[in-house]
Amino acid sequence: MSAKKLAWAGAVFAALLAMPLVLGEFWVLVLTEILILGLFAVSFNMIFGYMGQLSFGHAAFYGVGAYTTGLMMVKAGVPLGLCLPASMIMAGLVALVLGYFCIRLTGIYFAILTMAFGQLIFYIIFQWYGFTGGDNGLQGIRPPALLDGPWSYYYFTLLVVTAGVIVMWIISESPFGYTMRAIRDNPQRTRFVGVNTKKYMLINFVVAAMFAGLAGGLWGPFNRSLAPDLCNWHQSGVPVFMTIIGGPTGFLGPLIGSVIYTFLMAFVTGFTEYWPLTIGIVITLVVLFLPGGVWGLVERYGAALPAREGPPPEGEGGAS
Amino acid sequence: MKSDYILDVQGLCKAFGGLQATTEVNYRMGLGELSAIIGPNGAGKSTFFNLISGFHRPDKGKVFFKGANITSWPAHRIARFGMSRAFQVSNIYPKLTTYQNVRQAILVQQKRTLDLFRRAEKLARRDTQELLAVTGLDQHRQEVAGTLSQGDKKRLELALALAIKPDLLLLDEPTAGMSVEETHDTMELVARLNREMGVTILFTEHDMSVVFGYARRLTVLHQGMLIADGEPREVRANEEVQRVYLGEEV
Repeated sequence: MSAKKLAWAGAVFAALLAMPLVLGEFWVLVLTEILILGLFAVSFNMIFGYMGQLSFGHAAFYGVGAYTTGLMMVKAGVPLGLCLPASMIMAGLVALVLGYFCIRLTGIYFAILTMAFGQLIFYIIFQWYGFTGGDNGLQGIRPPALLDGPWSYYYFTLLVVTAGVIVMWIISESPFGYTMRAIRDNPQRTRFVGVNTKKYMLINFVVAAMFAGLAGGLWGPFNRSLAPDLCNWHQSGVPVFMTIIGGPTGFLGPLIGSVIYTFLMAFVTGFTEYWPLTIGIVITLVVLFLPGGVWGLVERYGAALPAREGPPPEGEGGAS
Repeated sequence: MKSDYILDVQGLCKAFGGLQATTEVNYRMGLGELSAIIGPNGAGKSTFFNLISGFHRPDKGKVFFKGANITSWPAHRIARFGMSRAFQVSNIYPKLTTYQNVRQAILVQQKRTLDLFRRAEKLARRDTQELLAVTGLDQHRQEVAGTLSQGDKKRLELALALAIKPDLLLLDEPTAGMSVEETHDTMELVARLNREMGVTILFTEHDMSVVFGYARRLTVLHQGMLIADGEPREVRANEEVQRVYLGEEV
């Protein structure tokens, strides 16, 4: 990482450390949500931005992660520090099975199949009253005493999310990360230099799901309860919106998207119930007038900002 | 089936719908050959390449490469096993830089692509630099590959094919779209790879001066059938070849 990038990252992190000191409880909760959903969105962009496929079922892994941590804490009293890795592993295992089928397809078919599998997971959680509580949800997920408060849980979330984002950034800059870009830009050429593209896509799918699972794991103790809606397809749309707003071409794009989306939601829902209409208008404006999202704008006009990590995917629809 | 041939194609057939693109082609290559396949448009040259490199599966026939029956292998496995291919229409990573393109292929060759945690930027620097220099792409290393000239794209295509250190290199019209000078440089490079590094090379080409200037063996395909095979001089004299293909002037 260049010195300039490091300075920028340091400044952002310092701001995230300092902000809760001057903010009230409501905005600290909003900040926590931004971080959790930001982690979720960055993991989504491993598939969308770096692999060039649009997953419309990413919430399934978020939900599996959330329920893994939630159930382990409520039913077995397992400490949160063990639940989070378990959430990653469970989400990864589910992704291994579902991904085996999904990566055989690309473009719109990939999107539809991920969505179908996502709904499958949703209905399992929704119907399985004996285990997940079904549509009654799962209540009483309390973080450990040390983290039991908006400020302390915020700092814990900041720590976990930062670690997760750093690991994903390292992966994006690794030979594996560049192989994903290669598969995205030219799968045929990649096969003809000797890469089993399907295998790499599956690994990437699983890794992305693990981080979505981590984000989900953080959600339960934050929200104190879980509902199956967490893995419904509306929830799969959240990282899509965030990534489109923030820009899929930059590693940090989805995080920027999370900031805008979540703040906007917290703000708008304070005085109107027309949040879906609002976000619909925002998305329309971004797609029409800001096709690369905020990051695309930064790339065009902000030479002083960190260089982009990866070249843009072809056609923002994520077709292969 | 043991053989001294690096490539041994037996009775290869392929039809697309009603079109018989390849009919009973037998073709063998010895180690170290520098050979060309010619034929009019639609003669089945590209299909032939597609069949032996795993892009299409033949309807009938077998392909042996380095003694192994690779007929039903997927393309990536054949590439790993040492057969590399440059495409007619340059097939590169248009959004990565020239340097990143070459590095990517080299990282594959070095079996490092499953490494999730080291920085790609710090790896394979010397090898990447070397290959860029060999293929004459050094001054374009930081350019985004999609913006390169047609000739440089073809050169990059060749570099990607070379990066995996192939035993057999298939070049589909390696000089298409190049200027006279670029054509000369590229073919000199191809000849040098063959001579100095012992890479067996099979290429197709429309430019007869290139074919007769570099190929030591010439094979003619016509309507999916192999109609002549031998030293360029013999093939040029072959009556059937003159009739179906070289007709106008050679």
